[in-house]
Amino acid sequence: MNRSSKLSKVYLALVFIILYTPIFYLIFYSFNSGGTMSSFKSFSLEHYKAVFADTRLIMILINTIIIALLSALISTAIGVIGAIGIVYLKNRKSRNALLSLNNVLIVSPDVIIGASFLILFTMVGVKLGFASVLISHIAFSVPIVVIMVLPKLQEMSSTLIDAALDLGASKREVLSRVIIPYIKPGIFAGFFLALTYSLDDFAVTFFVTGNGFTTLSVEIYSMARAGITLTINALSGLLFIVTLLLVLGYYFVTNRTKNPLRTGVPK
Amino acid sequence: MKEIIRAAVAILIICGVLFYVNNQLDKSSGRSGSDTISVYNWGEYIDPELVERFEEETGITVVYETFDSNEAMMTKIEQGGTSYDVAMPSEYAIEKMKENDLLIPIDHSKVPNLSNIDPYFLDLPFDPGNEYSIPYFWGTVGIAFNPKLLDGQTFESWEDLWDPSLKQEVILVDGAREVMGMGLNTLGYSLNTKDEQQLQEATDKLKTLSPNIKAIIGDEIVETMRRSEAAVALVWSGQAADIMYVNEDIDYAVPKEGSNLWFDNMIIPKTAANVEGAHKFINFMLDPEVAAQNADYVGYSTPNEQAIELMDPEVTGDERFYPTEEMRERLEVYKNLGLETLGKYNELFLEFKMDAQ
Repeated sequence: MNRSSKLSKVYLALVFIILYTPIFYLIFYSFNSGGTMSSFKSFSLEHYKAVFADTRLIMILINTIIIALLSALISTAIGVIGAIGIVYLKNRKSRNALLSLNNVLIVSPDVIIGASFLILFTMVGVKLGFASVLISHIAFSVPIVVIMVLPKLQEMSSTLIDAALDLGASKREVLSRVIIPYIKPGIFAGFFLALTYSLDDFAVTFFVTGNGFTTLSVEIYSMARAGITLTINALSGLLFIVTLLLVLGYYFVTNRTKNPLRTGVPK
Repeated sequence: MKEIIRAAVAILIICGVLFYVNNQLDKSSGRSGSDTISVYNWGEYIDPELVERFEEETGITVVYETFDSNEAMMTKIEQGGTSYDVAMPSEYAIEKMKENDLLIPIDHSKVPNLSNIDPYFLDLPFDPGNEYSIPYFWGTVGIAFNPKLLDGQTFESWEDLWDPSLKQEVILVDGAREVMGMGLNTLGYSLNTKDEQQLQEATDKLKTLSPNIKAIIGDEIVETMRRSEAAVALVWSGQAADIMYVNEDIDYAVPKEGSNLWFDNMIIPKTAANVEGAHKFINFMLDPEVAAQNADYVGYSTPNEQAIELMDPEVTGDERFYPTEEMRERLEVYKNLGLETLGKYNELFLEFKMDAQ
């Protein structure tokens, strides 16, 4: 028993090492004063300085964050409404059909979604840029939010709603005071997942950027073609820190929302 | 519910602040003028200082965007939805874009600096009379090698690649025309040949190279050679310059049988919104001093005669990157072969690749 638990710990450590080594290797070399990743000369922050000195790069970084926040926010709103709509559909057949349609969007390759958006936008005459990127990010985030919120809704007992209605709550109050507070952890989870999806999306964004508007992943891809410079390492390091902060934020938010529930509903 | 609304408002406020910061940055970098052009170029292919200087001198704001392949660029331009004013495709892409009617003719009267370009680089088969394109950078296809990993071998001839001592040491760039061209050049044929007999001979010749081939890859060649993980590689001169910039051991040679001469060119796409500004930008880039600074930054060979005068003679005197006229005579520019022959090239290249594995 003891031995197997030790073994499983070693296994776990090994998996984490494999997953994290490339990232730390990359970040490590971002502090290299030499120009390449072949040998570490001495510690220096010059590549970070180069990132901050380049206003274009900073603007792209800010654009990426704005797109991520806005698209996550809007897709969360749409996704939550959609999930509630799907769960309370009376007809089982159409409910399943809607769910499958939702899942198809999740599994279909990003490249296809991106290409079809490009064709759509140019056909309708939408100029490629901020709006086209935002719309497509919202589009691929909505199904993710739905998937995150659905289980919460399904585990919620329908008696809660009946009780609220019996006690004289209006339909609006049922929604805002019973359903939404109950599924809040799901909403936050959906939001953060949408956020990370938007931050690191390359395939879809690649197709719909244009007119001087790009996001970080697309820009890094173009830069990397001319050989990886350590500026890319520094930039990736920064992005890693942003993601880390997001995960921490998510952790605190979910912990805070869990606690009152735990004290309120004894297990 | 309250908490969610609060969170949503907080996010909106953050977005607002970021928007504001971005706008300020935009203004401070002088990108807010009404007169703008958008430039669509390869990544890391221009000195950013020059873009700023152009903005200061002309008051035109430059929106700068990058692409990573001719194909990606053509798709973006063909689909519309964007209004790039200047782009820098390679010569074969220009032929295709011309066929698809994606280019606006360049008004030579608005580009007086065109006279600075070496006439050798003008009026080439892919664009007679430079009606649609102006050369930006140029280079050759040749052999990058690491003398430290070899015992005194040199590469004056393509045949040297077949040397039995190079077992598993040669990397080839994954391009049908480059590799087939190498095979054709080795046998003394033109790399634009349409003769099936010659093509078949070249393929058979290439197949005998199989034991020496380590890999057939793309952009990774640069990293591999920089790290001295392979001794010999078939590369574009631009890649060779990139490699040598980091790894000083590497040498580059264009074999005597001849090779390919390639160009990246400035063009004005059909979707351009500011054709006037685009001409100004092209003319600016052809200014001797500007072209010299740009060539210095990018590290590729400039076709600008006057600029070469201003550059470090050690760089421009380097015959590996600025071949003498006598050497240039053996270089050939790719011609458009037509779909059918190009298909043949691709097919034979695939045959060779299958054989190499």
